[in-house]
Amino acid sequence: MQEQPIPDRLKISPFLVFYLIMSMQIGIGVLGYQRIIALKAGYDAWMSILFAGGCIHVIVWMMYKIGDTVDGDIVTAHKYIAGNFFGKVLSSIFIGYFTLYSLTVIRTFIEVIQVWMFPEMSTFWFAFGFMILCVYIIFGGFRTVVGLAFFGLVLPAYLLLTFGWAIKFANFYNLLPLLDHSIKELLTASYYMSLTFIGFEIILFFYPFIKEPKKSQKWAHLAVLTTTLIYTVLAIITFAYFAEEQLAKQIWATLAMWKIVEMPFVERFEYIGIANWNLIILPNVCISVWIASRLIKRIMNVRQKIGVFFIVGAVLVLINFLDTREKINMLNDYIGKMGFAFTFIYIPMLFAAVMIAKKVKKKKGKKR
Amino acid sequence: MKRLVLLLVAILLTGCVEKEIIDDINIEVAVGYDKSEDGKGYRGTVLFQQFQPDQSVENVTFTGGGKLRQDLLLEVTKQSSEPVVTGGLKLAIFGPELVKEGIYDLVDSFQRDPSIGARLFLATSEGKSGDLLKGEYGSRGNSKYIYNLINHNIEKRDIPKTNLHLAARDFYQKGKDLFLPRLKQTGQDKVEIVGISLFQEDKEVDILPVEKMFFFKLLVDKYSEGNFDVKTSEDARAAIQSIRSKHQIKVLNRRAKINIEIYGIIREYTGKVLTPEIIKEVEKKLEDQVERESVKLLKRFQELGIDPVGFGQMTKQQHRNFDFKKWEDEYKQLTFDVKCDVVIGETGVIE
Repeated sequence: MQEQPIPDRLKISPFLVFYLIMSMQIGIGVLGYQRIIALKAGYDAWMSILFAGGCIHVIVWMMYKIGDTVDGDIVTAHKYIAGNFFGKVLSSIFIGYFTLYSLTVIRTFIEVIQVWMFPEMSTFWFAFGFMILCVYIIFGGFRTVVGLAFFGLVLPAYLLLTFGWAIKFANFYNLLPLLDHSIKELLTASYYMSLTFIGFEIILFFYPFIKEPKKSQKWAHLAVLTTTLIYTVLAIITFAYFAEEQLAKQIWATLAMWKIVEMPFVERFEYIGIANWNLIILPNVCISVWIASRLIKRIMNVRQKIGVFFIVGAVLVLINFLDTREKINMLNDYIGKMGFAFTFIYIPMLFAAVMIAKKVKKKKGKKR
Repeated sequence: MKRLVLLLVAILLTGCVEKEIIDDINIEVAVGYDKSEDGKGYRGTVLFQQFQPDQSVENVTFTGGGKLRQDLLLEVTKQSSEPVVTGGLKLAIFGPELVKEGIYDLVDSFQRDPSIGARLFLATSEGKSGDLLKGEYGSRGNSKYIYNLINHNIEKRDIPKTNLHLAARDFYQKGKDLFLPRLKQTGQDKVEIVGISLFQEDKEVDILPVEKMFFFKLLVDKYSEGNFDVKTSEDARAAIQSIRSKHQIKVLNRRAKINIEIYGIIREYTGKVLTPEIIKEVEKKLEDQVERESVKLLKRFQELGIDPVGFGQMTKQQHRNFDFKKWEDEYKQLTFDVKCDVVIGETGVIE
């Protein structure tokens, strides 16, 4: 079966890849990654962020190579290496991955709202309202989702400035002595950065939607670089602001730093910050639901709308079972591990398989 | 049709979270903790503000007891006609018996509560903190009054920078100990700062008197705008103002080298003529005094086994695989070498 090419009017400009990747990467992980990495590698952990960020560039390069070789998304790539049926089986795993991803994002965000602002807020009804908005956006098509990603990144960008208040109380000597931890500890911390970093793997899923995909590669690298730098700077500010044992107790260190913000018109800045975070979370959920529904469409040949309803329904049912910090934490752990396995283990394997398949097919072509 | 549904959802869902209207709640603005009479748990005093039609503020206090901070809130809620919220808490004062037993649990509960800001001032009191909060200070409310009192003394005078975040950080930081400003009620409408409480872990072990606070701040913080008097001869005194200071501390081979730089302006002089020689003399006098007093203070901390300056933390920053157990012994043998450099820049508008 020949795949339908995507019409040009539905494609996006190469530079928008920058916003897509960054808005997918920055989500809930950034609220509390500092503690997790500091538990592993102390205040040297900012180096682990740079290292993890460096590794991601290699993966991005591999993803573009895969997309370029098979001229399509991950479903095409799977078909390319494993044939139609097994390819589809492989691809369908990712429906589950992205459904869980959107579930994790929205549930963790609701937890933040419940802990920091409204303890009595209903999980289901907030998720319900949020999901209606997502469905509405996704029905607007991929270009609407990308537009949202753009605004979801640009509008809340001012929040970065609010960490300036923390710098006033920071003691950057906290970071000394450098390299007080072993390489092994630093690598473990890099591994635990995965939940915070995942999101860039979406390139494999929307590759056919990019006009002149080759031109977009530099934007993808730039996006990963920017995220890495933001994470590193934020981690350094956090380490300078908290004592090490104090940070070990902060579940959401990024939010805890807003406690020091003082403005004449608002007593507690967290309320504004968390409300604004909604805008950062929205593209996260929309993009992952869009990808999952797109996969359903590609694999089962049904209309995308049906896929969207199916996934949103699944999320709304599953969310009711996640009612304690422990369970939410466990889910976050799992999704981090899955993300790590997918990006750093599966993608290189897929890359190798595609390269081998390409060679084999070339030989066959010559023989004919 | 679709839009109608969205509109309905938007309207209906807004009622999902409980509203808190500012006129219908009591905002806790200050709290004082004392040891309870029976020796178990503590007795807390919560201060609310009630805004009067003529824009003045009435101080309303409630007391309650318990073992946890929430117990106190519960008891106070029982007495208050409106629900109690903690989002506006600006000040927490610990009574004298309580600080000797430890304040960790209470500080922890402040940190745990997401609605409490990090700029909350923690302070200790001489005399019951409940009585201190029950006074009537100024027209803008007790909490605002005491908050401003501490705040401008941090900015312009001798209290080192402090707030909930910094206190908690010093508490958790290995190789550095906590200190808090100390307040005293001197009259029904007067309250003043009477020193600094020095802590070991979370227990008060010593009180620094007001006269030593200048030297203490030189060691732990930097001045941006301070003042200090120097006696030059029997009947001549010079007031040095707009003091800016910096300090630099290095620990090498059990010797702590402390360099203090002070820049100031003479504002007042009671002698006859202020000649360059006298300025030099003032500088020298101040340098000597700072060096002498700082070493005295540091020796005192050393004897008590506390480290509010953070020598341990600074030494750790210079050594990998630092062992705090060993440091405890090393700290006892540390010798201090304080060098002070004073520069008087201006002498006011007349000669």
